[in-house]
Amino acid sequence: MTDAIKLTIPHQKSYYGVVRLVVGGLAARLDLSYESLEDLQLALESLLGNEAYASGDDVTVELSLGPGSIQMLVGPLDGARLRPDLAAADGDEEGVSLGRLLATVVGDVRLEERDGGHWVRLEKRTAGSGSSA
Amino acid sequence: MTLSSENDRELLRAYHGRGDLEARERLIEQYLPLVRSLARRYSYRGELLEDLVQVGCIGLIKAIDRFDVDRGVELTTYATPNIIGEIKRHFRDKGWSVRVPRGLQELNVRLSRLIEELTVQLERSPTIPELAKAAGVQEEEVLEALETGQAYATLSLSAPSGGDENDDLDPLESLGEIEHEYEVSEDRAVLAPGLRVLDERERRILQLRFFDGLTQSQIAQQIGISQMHVSRLIRRSLEKIRNEVAADNGGPASQTARG
Repeated sequence: MTDAIKLTIPHQKSYYGVVRLVVGGLAARLDLSYESLEDLQLALESLLGNEAYASGDDVTVELSLGPGSIQMLVGPLDGARLRPDLAAADGDEEGVSLGRLLATVVGDVRLEERDGGHWVRLEKRTAGSGSSA
Repeated sequence: MTLSSENDRELLRAYHGRGDLEARERLIEQYLPLVRSLARRYSYRGELLEDLVQVGCIGLIKAIDRFDVDRGVELTTYATPNIIGEIKRHFRDKGWSVRVPRGLQELNVRLSRLIEELTVQLERSPTIPELAKAAGVQEEEVLEALETGQAYATLSLSAPSGGDENDDLDPLESLGEIEHEYEVSEDRAVLAPGLRVLDERERRILQLRFFDGLTQSQIAQQIGISQMHVSRLIRRSLEKIRNEVAADNGGPASQTARG
């Protein structure tokens, strides 16, 4: 049995609260700090709360727990819109780009192609109980 | 005493002494711009300015009716807190964008304080089970209460900022506060149109979080507000920018928070 949760919701802001609660439940189970939970939720909100990134009516969030980390896979999303925003992580001094935001709150961010769509893979290190990592 | 306050007193005496309703009407008309100006500062999303003006007018009328001419206070001084008080009551009753049970609202406020206390005590950010234990509630209740903060955050999206810790309870508490001067990189604001919608404190917080790499609790310490409040301000700022960028582009936001 894999320690994973898969959730498909309409890509609409109003459904984002459902994902927040699920992530909160996972954070409680993992003993993540409030601050880490906030980071995870902000990362997901930046992708799910922005309808410009929607690629279809629905979006899926896969959350899986690895040793010392939590992984989140979000998709399918609009790769053409995401790519430049994700690439702006470095050297973008003009505002808070998606790339910069995700790099700050999560750490490892990758854009992947899967099932003919684009997915964002996020990985956040969790350094153990009460981690604020 | 100014000419206008003398005129106010005459009208007030006419109303209170002789029951001159016309004098009362004139006073109300005279002070409508004040009501409008105060209401404009709180024309929240979903709350029409005209509705708030109506609510403010109730405060104004109460002030006129209760005013004691012999107390030597000007009507403006007396009316302003009355008008604000009425608007506050309105928001207290209807403020949460989604109807949130009172118990959860209160737990949310308690959690905000507990997060601060435990962060100091543990020298790290507390976990959900730790918060649940400290609050004497179930973990699910903690999560639910934290989620209610999102309802509040939605409300406060267009709330006037520059407030203080009281924003956790009532965004209107920030009224009349003097903005802190922060050494914000104004260059960035000039370069990024989206960032111009933010006030200095919001820009400062985004700078600290996303460019200087400070954690929420470190920012909270530096700015002097709660961590939960920092979180709300970050969310609100990012959404403000998103909306601004979307408005500029004439469609949904294409960038998270970039101008």
